[in-house]
Amino acid sequence: MATVLRVPAESIGPDSSMDTVPGWDSLRHLTLVLALEEEFGVYIPDEEAGSITPYPLIKLVLTELLEAKA
Amino acid sequence: MRGAIGPADARAVLAADSSTLVQLLRAIETLEQEPQERTVRVGVSSSATVDLLGVYLRRHGLLAATGIEVVPGTFDDPIGDIERFRDAGIGHVVLLPFFDGLLPAFEDRLATLAPGAVDALEERLRSRYRLTLEQAREMDTVFLGTFHRLGTPADIGGRDVVATVLERFNAVLREEAAAFANVRLVDTEDVVRTVGRTAAFDARFYFRSRAPYTGAFLDELARRVTAGARGFGAHFHKVLVLDCDNTLWGGVVGEDSATGIQLGPHDHPGSVFWRVQHQIAALRHQGVLLCLCTKNNPDDVEEVLRRHPDMVLRPEDFAATKVNWDDKPANLRALAAELGVGLDSMVFLDDSPFECEAVRQQLPMVTTVQVPATLSVYPQVVQQVAELFLAGGVTAESRDKTEQYRRRAQAQELQAQSVDQEAYLASLQLTVELRRDVRADAARVSELSQKSNQFNLTTRRYSVAEIERLIDSPQHAVYSLVVGDTFGSAGLTGAAVLRYDGVRAHVESFFLSCRVLGRGVETAVWPQIVDDAVARGCSELRADFVPTAKNAQVADFYDRLGLRIAAEADDGSRSYRIEADDFDTPPPAWIEMSSVG
Repeated sequence: MATVLRVPAESIGPDSSMDTVPGWDSLRHLTLVLALEEEFGVYIPDEEAGSITPYPLIKLVLTELLEAKA
Repeated sequence: MRGAIGPADARAVLAADSSTLVQLLRAIETLEQEPQERTVRVGVSSSATVDLLGVYLRRHGLLAATGIEVVPGTFDDPIGDIERFRDAGIGHVVLLPFFDGLLPAFEDRLATLAPGAVDALEERLRSRYRLTLEQAREMDTVFLGTFHRLGTPADIGGRDVVATVLERFNAVLREEAAAFANVRLVDTEDVVRTVGRTAAFDARFYFRSRAPYTGAFLDELARRVTAGARGFGAHFHKVLVLDCDNTLWGGVVGEDSATGIQLGPHDHPGSVFWRVQHQIAALRHQGVLLCLCTKNNPDDVEEVLRRHPDMVLRPEDFAATKVNWDDKPANLRALAAELGVGLDSMVFLDDSPFECEAVRQQLPMVTTVQVPATLSVYPQVVQQVAELFLAGGVTAESRDKTEQYRRRAQAQELQAQSVDQEAYLASLQLTVELRRDVRADAARVSELSQKSNQFNLTTRRYSVAEIERLIDSPQHAVYSLVVGDTFGSAGLTGAAVLRYDGVRAHVESFFLSCRVLGRGVETAVWPQIVDDAVARGCSELRADFVPTAKNAQVADFYDRLGLRIAAEADDGSRSYRIEADDFDTPPPAWIEMSSVG
């Protein structure tokens, strides 16, 4: 996430969201979703793709998707 | 997780098809921290959201050793963007109109639009891009993407209203672009075809953020733009240097003869080479300079070029030729000097991994392409070679430069020698196994004696039975040599037949396959052969050279080996002799010798 958002890795944590991370705008978010899908080998459905902006939610959705895949 | 990687690894990541977006981003960041030979600013103005295009432009730029700084424009404002880019001194622009966005949901509305609406749109489009391109007149290059459709026609015939309007609007772009020499069109519909329609678009982000494209589409688009910009000025290919045997035709002319080579429209594999020659002739027609660089007898090549009925390329198609037995890096240097072009403007096509590697190592600035082992993909490889020359466009002036270069080349025949040749040969780890009287080799030795024309001192042909008899005879020895290097074993590629007569050891025959020439193999075997002769009580070595139409290159072979001429006949035949004690030609230091038998 830090690579895509161009911020230091340690600055990404449970409190991170579009509101707290500078440069995390809707366009950067698009890149982030594509990168997450590629890295984790999942397809994030449309409903989730736009709304998963706080970090804990991203984690939750990815966990669910990975469990569903397993 | 966020481990640092070195520049070499980063470059490998950029080149690999399988790299993920995150891997690419990290590799790009690593390389952009290195000093760049050249940095180019590229403006991107689009009527769709294409943020990721920047990542892929940086990727392909770095692969061409060029740092790319991407300057994004404002959404759907080409005229304003160009003005801003121009004021900022930006030389290259990628301009991407977007069909489905001409009006919201344009493709699906077309069928129900009021009559006249399309005409009005067409006029608006024309004036908009005319103005945009006029503003961009002073820029180096404007890459203008043509329109593609997002959906597919419901009518399986395909010619629906969307297709018709798309065609009309693309004609507008082409017409407007034609007025400006700095505008290069990029066929985005072909990018969609290459990537695959389902892999090119992502509907989720199109509806949400007007970002219709996947990374795969934008990557391919960036690759084409970079190729079209010739790596943003990193290279400008002008010369295609060609080998002959198994590159322009199938087979080896020195062994199969001019009528025995494989070339022609109707047979296999001759038809593959024939097609490739047409591809190369098309390049020549578009201004690419062709050269030959081949290890062959000049007469053989001349014969094929002038008289083979199915040759597409003829002598006048070549700006300069090097048909000799010198190493290829030296010949490429000489060609570059003769034509007055840089080595980095050359593309070298050869079937031999040995030659390709030699050129890659010694002349890394030359773009080296090897003829694929699978012949069916050869035309495809040549198509990629064509892209190197043509992706950047062809100007009318560059056509028919060949004649001009030919004259220059003829005036400046010169010989370049590679100082690095020895170091290269050492890096190959050449091995020669000299085998004496090995019956299992008889068939191959006989075959080689029948086929070898060029490196053959007496051109005596032996049957298998004869070779077997000579092997069994105490008065004779049959040596065979097996050559290997880092590329693997070249197999049994040479032989010598000796006759022992009292104190005299007489070389009846010595022949080598031309595949292994130019590496010192031909001299490496002699100290051992002389030692063997001395061990059986001989004190003198005798040898003959018998000239033929094909073996001119070995006319002075025994002289080079240090033997002295004993007699010379009117037909050019010569006999040589040397006292075994006087023989002191050392084996080349880069060859590791071993012996069997």
